[in-house]
Amino acid sequence: MLLSRSIRAVLTLSVTLSLLLAAPGIAKASIDCFQCHDRDAFQKKVKHEPASAGECLTCHSPHAARFGGLLQQEVKDLCYSCHADAAEQQNQGVVHLPVKQGKCLGCHNPHSSDQKALLKDKLANTCFSCHKELQKKYKHTHPPYAKGQCDSCHRPHQSANDNLLVTDSDSLCLSCHQRDAVQKKHPNFPEKLGKCGSCHSPHGSDRPAMIRNVLHAAYADDCSNCHEGKGVPVPIDTCLGCHPDVSEQMASSHNHLLHYGENGCVACHSPHAGDDERLLKGKERHVCGKCHEATFKRLETAKHSHPMEGDCNDCHSPHGSNHPAMAKGPVNDVCNKCHGKHGMFTHPIGENVFDPRTGQMMTCISCHATKGSDYPYHTRFSGKKDLCVQCHATY
Amino acid sequence: MKRTSEFAFLKKLLLIVVLVLLPVTALAEVPWKWQTSLRIDKVGDSMYMPSAVSFNPESQTYYVIDTGRNRLVSFGRDGKVLKAFTANKKLKAPFDMVRLANGRLWVVEKGRNSLTLIDVAAKKITPHTLHDGESLVFPDRIAVAGGKLYILDRASGQVLRLADDLSIEQRFGCKDCSAGLTDFVIDGKSVLAIETIEKRIYRFALDGKVMAEYKLGDEADFPVSLDVGPSGSIYVLDRHLNEVLAYSENGQYRYSFLGTGQAAGNVYFARQLRFDPWGQLCVVDEGNGRVEIYGR
Repeated sequence: MLLSRSIRAVLTLSVTLSLLLAAPGIAKASIDCFQCHDRDAFQKKVKHEPASAGECLTCHSPHAARFGGLLQQEVKDLCYSCHADAAEQQNQGVVHLPVKQGKCLGCHNPHSSDQKALLKDKLANTCFSCHKELQKKYKHTHPPYAKGQCDSCHRPHQSANDNLLVTDSDSLCLSCHQRDAVQKKHPNFPEKLGKCGSCHSPHGSDRPAMIRNVLHAAYADDCSNCHEGKGVPVPIDTCLGCHPDVSEQMASSHNHLLHYGENGCVACHSPHAGDDERLLKGKERHVCGKCHEATFKRLETAKHSHPMEGDCNDCHSPHGSNHPAMAKGPVNDVCNKCHGKHGMFTHPIGENVFDPRTGQMMTCISCHATKGSDYPYHTRFSGKKDLCVQCHATY
Repeated sequence: MKRTSEFAFLKKLLLIVVLVLLPVTALAEVPWKWQTSLRIDKVGDSMYMPSAVSFNPESQTYYVIDTGRNRLVSFGRDGKVLKAFTANKKLKAPFDMVRLANGRLWVVEKGRNSLTLIDVAAKKITPHTLHDGESLVFPDRIAVAGGKLYILDRASGQVLRLADDLSIEQRFGCKDCSAGLTDFVIDGKSVLAIETIEKRIYRFALDGKVMAEYKLGDEADFPVSLDVGPSGSIYVLDRHLNEVLAYSENGQYRYSFLGTGQAAGNVYFARQLRFDPWGQLCVVDEGNGRVEIYGR
C-alpha cells in the first residue's frame, strides 16, 4: 500500500513536471515556425487571425498529421470549427461547387492576403480561375462585370436563388435599372417586365443592349412566326412543328416533354436569344441541375466519380431516348465513344454476356456507377473482391 | 458464489433480450419481403426497360409493358411467362396499359403519341391522337375507374378524365406546381397524384378540386410513382434513391426500404409502383429489366 502511494506520487510529479516543461515549448512552437517559414507571407494586408497571432498549432500539427499541410483535420472541418455560419449555409439552397466539395482553399488563402476576405487573388481573377468559359470582355460589357464586381450580383458561398444571385433575377436587374426607364425602352412588352435574361446576357455580348449573341431564327424573322397575338401562349406543338428531329426524340419512352407553364420547351430553352445555337437558358450544369440537382450533388461529392469534362449531352440525349437514363444509345456504345481502348481488355460485356442477377446484358454500368462511388474507377463495389463476388459467388 | 450466479443469470437474460429484440426491430424496419420476380431468363430475349405493370384479377395474370422490346408480356402469379404480345410488331414504344372488362386493351404508345385501343380477339388496333382544345395531348400514365379512362398528359402535367368519345370531361392539376404531375392512381372516390420536382402528393376529388396536399421531406429525392396500400398507407417510389418510401394516409413519413443494385431486394432506376389485386407490392425495376414483387 505504501509502495503504491509512492508510485502514485512519483507519477503525479512526473506528469506535472512534464506539463510545466512542455508548456513554454508549445507556446514557443508557433514562433519557431517562422524560423523556416517566411514570416512576410503571413503578414499581408488582410490577416487570418490565428495565423497573425502566431497560433499555428490551432490548425497544424507540428510533427505528423493525417491531412495534407500537416493539418489537424480536413480543410472544411477545420474552417467550419470556427466559421460555424458557413457550415450551416453549405446545405441550404444553391451552394457553390467548391463550398459543396469543402475546397475553401480554392478561393481563400488560409494565412494572409492582400485581398479582402483573404481571397487568393482579386475577386474577378479568383472567379475566372475556375469559370474559364466566361469571356473577360465583350464588345458590350455590363459595367459591374467589366469592373470585376462579381459580388454585385452573385453570392460566393450559397444563395436561395439560381446562379447564386443575391436576389431573384428580376429584382436584381431592377435594383439598378429603373422600372420606368426599362418600360420606356420596351413599349410593346406583352407582359409584366421581367425575365430580362431571356434576351439579355447579364455579362455582355457582341450585340447592343447586351442582347444575347445567337437569336432564334423565328424570333429574328418575325414574332408572328410563333405568337398569334399579344398574351396568346405558344403551345409546344408550334415548337415541334419546326423541329421534327426533336419531335421524333420526344416520341421516346423516356423523354423530357415537361409541363412548364404553357410550353415545356422553355423550361430549358430561351425562345428568343441565347449564347449558343441550342439557346439554352444557361450552362448545362445549371439547366439540368434545376431538376437534377441531387444527381449533380452525388456526382460532385462522390469520392470517385466520372470526370465532368464535357457536357451532360455528351452521353445523354436531352430530348428523349429509348435507352436507360436517356443515354444517347446502348450504354456500351456510349461509353465506347471515349473508352474505346477499354474494350480490348475489359471483362466480357455485350449481347452474349448476361448478368446472372438480372438476366440483363452485361454493360459497363453493371460494374461502374456513372455518378460516382467510394471506390477507384467508381466501381459499384470494391474492386479487390466484393465487385467480383456479386456474380461469381464461388470466386 | 451467490454473486457469481446472479451475474451469470443477468448475462443470460441480456442475451435473450438481444436475441429476441434485434430480429423484431429489424423486421419492423423491413416489413416487406421479396416474393418473386417477373422476368424473362432467355438469352437475347430478356425484357428491356419495362415501364409499367397491369393486372387481370380474373385470370390472375400480370401484364408487363416491355417498352424496349415493343411488346406486352403476361405472367402467371407464380412468375412464369405466359405470352408475349407485339400486335403483329405494330406496337411503338408502348408505355402503359389498362385492360377493360370486355378484354380490350387501352395502350399508351409513346412512339406514335397515341392512346391505342387493341381488340385482341378481333386482331384490331385503333390508334387515337388526343387534343385538348388546340393543344396536342401527350398521354403518359393511364388508369380506368367507374367505366372512365383517366390519362396523364405530360405536356400539361394534368390528369384528364375522358368521356366515351375521348374528349376531356374533367381535369386534375396543380396550379402552383412547376413541372406538373408525374403519376397518379384512382383511390376510391379520389385521384391521388404525385409531382416529382417539388416532391408533393395531391389528392383530388372527382370534380377536380384539391382535397389534400402533402409535401414530402428530405427523405425523398426524385419521387416518380405512388400507390395506396391495402391498409391505406401511401407508398412512393423514388427513382434516384431506388427506395420505396412509406407514408401514413395523411402524408407522414414512416419508413423506407429497398436500395440500389442488381441483387434481389435491390432495384435500379425503378419506374413504377403498384399494388396488385392480391395486396402485393410490385416495383417495375426498369434498369434490371424485371418487376419485383414484395409481400408481408
